[in-house]
Amino acid sequence: MTTLSLTINGRKHGPLEVRDDLTMNDFLREVLGMTGTKFGCGAAQCLSCAIIVDNPDGTSTTTPTCIVPAVAFQGNSIRTVEGHAKDGELSALQKAFIDHFAFQCGYCTAGFLNEGQVLLERLARAPVARNELEQTIADALDSHLCRCTGYVRYHEAVRDVILADSKRYLIANN
Amino acid sequence: MRPSRREFVKWLSAGGISVSLSHLASAKDAAFATHETLPGRGKFNPAMRGAGRVDGVAKVTGAKLYASDFRANDMPGWPQTTSHAILVRANDATHVYTGMDLGRLTGAMKPSVVVTAADLDRIGTRVPEFYTGDLFCPAGKTPTYLGQPVALLIFETFDAYDRARLALRDGTFVMFGEETGPVEVPHYGAYRFTRVAGATPDAPDVYSPLQAGWVSPKKLQSAPLPVWSPLAKETPADYSKAATHGEQIRAELAADNASLLVLDREFETQSVDPMFLEPECGIAWYGKAGNLELVLGVQSPYEATESITYLLDKARAPFKPAQINAQFAYVGGGFGGRDHTPFVLYVALAAVFFQGRPVRLAHDRYQQFQGGIKRHPIKMRSRIGIDRATGLIKAFAADHVLDGGGLANFSVNVATVAATAAIGIYDVPKVDVTTVALHSRGVTAGSMRGYGTLQSMTALEVLIDEAAAELKLDPIEFRRRNALKQNGRTMTGNPYIVSVRTPEILDKLEKHAIWQQRAQFKQATSGVLVGTGLACVTKDYGTGADCSLGRVELEPDGRIAIFCDHVEMGNGIGTALANRVAQHLGGIADEVAVSRVDSYDVLGLVTSGDPYTMDQKTQDAAEKSPRWVPSISSATSASIGAHVGTHSSAEAARVIFRYGLWPAALELWRIAKTDPRARQWAGATWKDGQLVMPGLEPLALPVLAATAHARGFVTGAVAHSFSRWGWSRARFPMFGEQYRAEIDALAIRKGRGKFERIDRVSVKFPPTDNNRIGVAYTSMCGTVVRIEINRATGALRIAKAYSVFECGQALVPEVVMGQSYGGFAMGVGYALLETLPPFEGGPGNGQWNLGQYLIARGSDLPLRDLELELLPPLTPDEPPKGIAEVVMIPIVPALLNAIHDATGHRFRSLPVTTSLLKGALA
Repeated sequence: MTTLSLTINGRKHGPLEVRDDLTMNDFLREVLGMTGTKFGCGAAQCLSCAIIVDNPDGTSTTTPTCIVPAVAFQGNSIRTVEGHAKDGELSALQKAFIDHFAFQCGYCTAGFLNEGQVLLERLARAPVARNELEQTIADALDSHLCRCTGYVRYHEAVRDVILADSKRYLIANN
Repeated sequence: MRPSRREFVKWLSAGGISVSLSHLASAKDAAFATHETLPGRGKFNPAMRGAGRVDGVAKVTGAKLYASDFRANDMPGWPQTTSHAILVRANDATHVYTGMDLGRLTGAMKPSVVVTAADLDRIGTRVPEFYTGDLFCPAGKTPTYLGQPVALLIFETFDAYDRARLALRDGTFVMFGEETGPVEVPHYGAYRFTRVAGATPDAPDVYSPLQAGWVSPKKLQSAPLPVWSPLAKETPADYSKAATHGEQIRAELAADNASLLVLDREFETQSVDPMFLEPECGIAWYGKAGNLELVLGVQSPYEATESITYLLDKARAPFKPAQINAQFAYVGGGFGGRDHTPFVLYVALAAVFFQGRPVRLAHDRYQQFQGGIKRHPIKMRSRIGIDRATGLIKAFAADHVLDGGGLANFSVNVATVAATAAIGIYDVPKVDVTTVALHSRGVTAGSMRGYGTLQSMTALEVLIDEAAAELKLDPIEFRRRNALKQNGRTMTGNPYIVSVRTPEILDKLEKHAIWQQRAQFKQATSGVLVGTGLACVTKDYGTGADCSLGRVELEPDGRIAIFCDHVEMGNGIGTALANRVAQHLGGIADEVAVSRVDSYDVLGLVTSGDPYTMDQKTQDAAEKSPRWVPSISSATSASIGAHVGTHSSAEAARVIFRYGLWPAALELWRIAKTDPRARQWAGATWKDGQLVMPGLEPLALPVLAATAHARGFVTGAVAHSFSRWGWSRARFPMFGEQYRAEIDALAIRKGRGKFERIDRVSVKFPPTDNNRIGVAYTSMCGTVVRIEINRATGALRIAKAYSVFECGQALVPEVVMGQSYGGFAMGVGYALLETLPPFEGGPGNGQWNLGQYLIARGSDLPLRDLELELLPPLTPDEPPKGIAEVVMIPIVPALLNAIHDATGHRFRSLPVTTSLLKGALA
């Protein structure tokens, strides 16, 4: 057993005694009741379970939770799908997903949302050229599986958020 | 057992099946509705703003929606702690199952309860007919199929369960003894579809299934395959007649006839998994009062509850529930694989064997591969005969053999749908198709998107391409020449009863740049082979016995609530309902509740018999009861969502308009009932939320709703309808006149009053002879694709693709397009990536997961180079047509045809993987 403390969506959790082999997915879903993070394959192949880890250097990454022990997140600050909206206001990406009818069954949506958000934040720090944008989006989202949508609308939604604020996300005059 | 609070329990009488819905008290758990998000409870509706889906916000904020999201402490009134169960399955089906060695589960890992076949015998459960077979393989028997359950292990705490499941992961604790070979089981069913057209298109058929009924050969217990000969011993007379015609057709195809091009080809498809992302899951609690409470996620909620009831209603105390209360959650993908799934039975069993504790049963992905419903592999031999001079198809014969896996499930239905789709979009005067669904020790196959037609039309469209090449005809011209026309007859002898737009689709394909530029792009560049291929298909929607239930309520302030029994599995049914009702009531619904099979108690519906096999006399007698319908509620498939799922809600809205809002408008306009304008409701239209009539003041919906409430006009309606390739029609006494509509049961609410049933005074259900129809409702889709194949590696890239399709009036065009993108992706996976070995080494071994099983990723698809075109409806009021299945089909044969164009190699089995391509190019 390990005493685990971490921050989820800006809120501190712990100290909590958890088994060392308890996955982060089960910690979120079974211990905390945060079922917005989904369980898809248990093998880190579909990434419907992906969450955001905010690194101390200000960068963020996504990570699967289905095969990673909860104790690996000791002291981390993480974000889940439940944390994107602020004060009831949806994020730009959440709104874009809805406006584009990006998802259907929606089971993969949390993973795509987290991956897309990390991409936005990465581009805000390190913009890319417009002609690199499509491939950048494709590369970022390619590890996420969806069985309903064919991915097109997810990509369009992310692209539209970026193009709507191109000064922030794209290299100027490109 | 007494009737459920939700009141949709099937009762069995001594004399046969009769089903009743007893009266339902409305849900008493309003508090739950305010803070939880099970379907039907969400209030927020972004569609009100004209954007997004009704479930959009819930899905981007991680709200609890799916069955897998709910634990005991989410459910009002339930105990707070959730226990967990593991469904143990056999990973061997050729040796005797001898038991489990649970020695590795020590200490806290020990299960609290172990449920086996012996326990089911002890308490007296019954297996619903649809799932015939042992729910658990008893010790001492060889499992009937790989993945057959052998036991439930129930753990009181999550930690115990979690540690145990890891310890049991390798499956070696399931023990087997003597080798027996696979269990032999007779085939699930066999049919023969034979049609011989008359001398001219207008002449009656010489023989057809529509005339003579569907026929089967005699079933032999001693042989796995039927004897198809018309002369076999004890052959039924009706079969013999069909077979005699069929053999004549085959003889003509086999004859030495230089004027006829005959191709005789075999094609084989593979087993695949629906791979919906949410593994099957459910939670149930069997409380002290004998109430069995369940939260489930299936496509067939009514059937699930019926089956659970049947499972337990002869059980001895205390295992027989007094009440069953099932709630149905959103579904994290279905694609047919959650339609009539036996999984729900095990959820119920887990609860009744661990009484007083809520128990959750959830597949992980390995278990989902091991036990989830699969798509049928089909072996097909097809012969086609084409007149060389005219390029017209003269005859077609085929033999289909389906591997149904361990349980019958929908295998026979899939077999018949595959067979009746075997001639696709074409007009063929002589057809003979045999089909048989076999049992095997493989994982059970059942319903999956395409329902057999994906397999048979892929084989056909590849054959058509080859025939066109042999005849040196342009593939589009060949298809155009042979396409079935609007009034032409299908294989079963009936015409389609909806629009046939094949010529338009073929024209679109022909004019598209991908097709026009095929020669130009075929100029091979170094190391890359380029090919272009196309296909055009048609897919039925509807099963021939589909039910629609809808309840619509209008509040005094104009707010609209809709309740529907169909399930939201990503198909956007909720949004489609809102849009279709808005056509009648002028406003988008504020609340849309799906999966609500409990909303129709006031109709007091009863049913009996099997709607698919009932004879006319029986139906005529039964329908004399004003509450009788051929069937009450049916499973959801994405392709019937628009046509069936929304029908009754639209009809209910029409009643509210006609007897609520219209009389309210007359009052506000001060038009007397005797004024001729009082009967001109058909001329009224909605514009921007206002009812508009020429020359009169526009009226806003809230004003009309308030007036309707104040005057006690109709403000709510509940309707049921039944479709057997045509809707039921009935007359109802309404305010001194007879109201006629395509429904068979109706209840109305006046003002704030209670709903009251209006007994119909006459009804016309679709004739039972319609059961002889194969396909009547159908949608068309064509695809052209350009591919590039790396000559050295065999890697295939889809460079560009174009799909064109039609679905009548698209209720939510964005959803239609989304389903089409998704269908294309699923088709690509089926053609190039996905496959499961059938037996040992396949998913039944419990070791399969993603990574080993490949589905299409974004990088496998032409995300920026996929063009979709939805044809506009032929008329503004053309009814919606099902689209979700047909859109995944043509890309599969189009890819195979493109591969042939690029490589000269014609693949006749699926999937065509990179390694196979590399081998073919070596």
